[in-house]
Amino acid sequence: MSKRAAQKEAARVIREQLARERRRRRTLWTSIVAVAVLVIAGGIGYGVYAAQHKSSFATPPGSVANGTGFATGSGPATVDVYEDFLCPHCKEFEDASGSAVEQLASQGKARVIYHPIAILDGASTTNYSTRSAAAAGCAGAEGKFREYAKALFAQQPSEGSAGLSDDQLVQIGTSIGLSESSFGTCVRDGTYKSWVQHVTDEASAAGVTGTPTVKVNGRQVQPTAAAITAAVQPGGSSS
Amino acid sequence: MILDIRRLPVRRWPAVQPWLGTLVRLGLAAVWLTAGAAKAGDLAAAGRAVNAYQVMPYDVAKVVGAALPFVEIALGLLLVAGLATRLAGVVSAALLAVFVAGISSAWARGLSIDCGCFGGGGELAAGQSPSYGPEIARDLAFGALAAFLIAYPLTRLSVDRWLAASDAPAGPTPEEM
Repeated sequence: MSKRAAQKEAARVIREQLARERRRRRTLWTSIVAVAVLVIAGGIGYGVYAAQHKSSFATPPGSVANGTGFATGSGPATVDVYEDFLCPHCKEFEDASGSAVEQLASQGKARVIYHPIAILDGASTTNYSTRSAAAAGCAGAEGKFREYAKALFAQQPSEGSAGLSDDQLVQIGTSIGLSESSFGTCVRDGTYKSWVQHVTDEASAAGVTGTPTVKVNGRQVQPTAAAITAAVQPGGSSS
Repeated sequence: MILDIRRLPVRRWPAVQPWLGTLVRLGLAAVWLTAGAAKAGDLAAAGRAVNAYQVMPYDVAKVVGAALPFVEIALGLLLVAGLATRLAGVVSAALLAVFVAGISSAWARGLSIDCGCFGGGGELAAGQSPSYGPEIARDLAFGALAAFLIAYPLTRLSVDRWLAASDAPAGPTPEEM
């Protein structure tokens, strides 16, 4: 190899090394930028969620001690019923087994706690799940939670619709004897919407991932009158 | 007329590959943008969808559910721009692997949930049966797109390509080296 050729060869090697170095630095910096973009995006997501999620909430008077629902009756067993007022299977459950569960409460066999949760806001165009559950909170504050809940299920709108309007929610209340002024104001102001968020959050934390969910003494059972009644019997919940 | 289909693609591959890469990149971007946008509207629901897999405490699921839609959107934007394409491909493949693992685990444990991949999620109503098989197949197909970008990250109409071009020396001046 001539001296001239060797010089050219050396220059080529150096050029390639410099090019590799530039490529390495370019990859490093674009990677740092990309990772930063992803991390910041995740942080923004959590920030948006935290801003939407109110940490304080108004608990309707008359709700259970931890504020996650309304109880009826008393007894050795505890039955937790989680329902969304837009959920068609919850209406089916109420139609088929609602009165049997109420009987367990009235006969002193169980304390039944109804938790109105909102997990189907995406299935109506007006967040009907949250609005209806908040209205049920208003009814509960005046001692008529269960009556109002049953009236809501009787007039359940279909999934994908706009649901019932606030005026209709108020009307259902006045039809069962709630006052237009106090109950109506409570519904239209959405006083207990933040409470519904709390009830829903606590249900999720308790492992509720769908509706209707029924628990007897903390254990999930099939949402049928037979299964609930069997689990409520002494020793029944161990099955 | 006889068309030699075995030789044709091989000859054209160097010309076709960067443009095919652009299509793959934009396709995967569309997947992430759609998935992220579908979930970003209701972050609480996204958290519940994660919670339905029952693999982490709800407090953790809430954070994952809130962060994930925005990470997906950011990943989609990186792919649209073609910035750090190989890294975006690796992150895509990793996320999809986690999703496939989650769905498989839900399947194996006999859970009956909606994967929540494009919004929705949570336990299925009585009478509805899960579609874990198609959900996994879909994620694997998206994974194939990611794999293509890991293998061939330099695509047309990308920031990566533009950066590479503008970073190169102005001209062939070997004597200065």
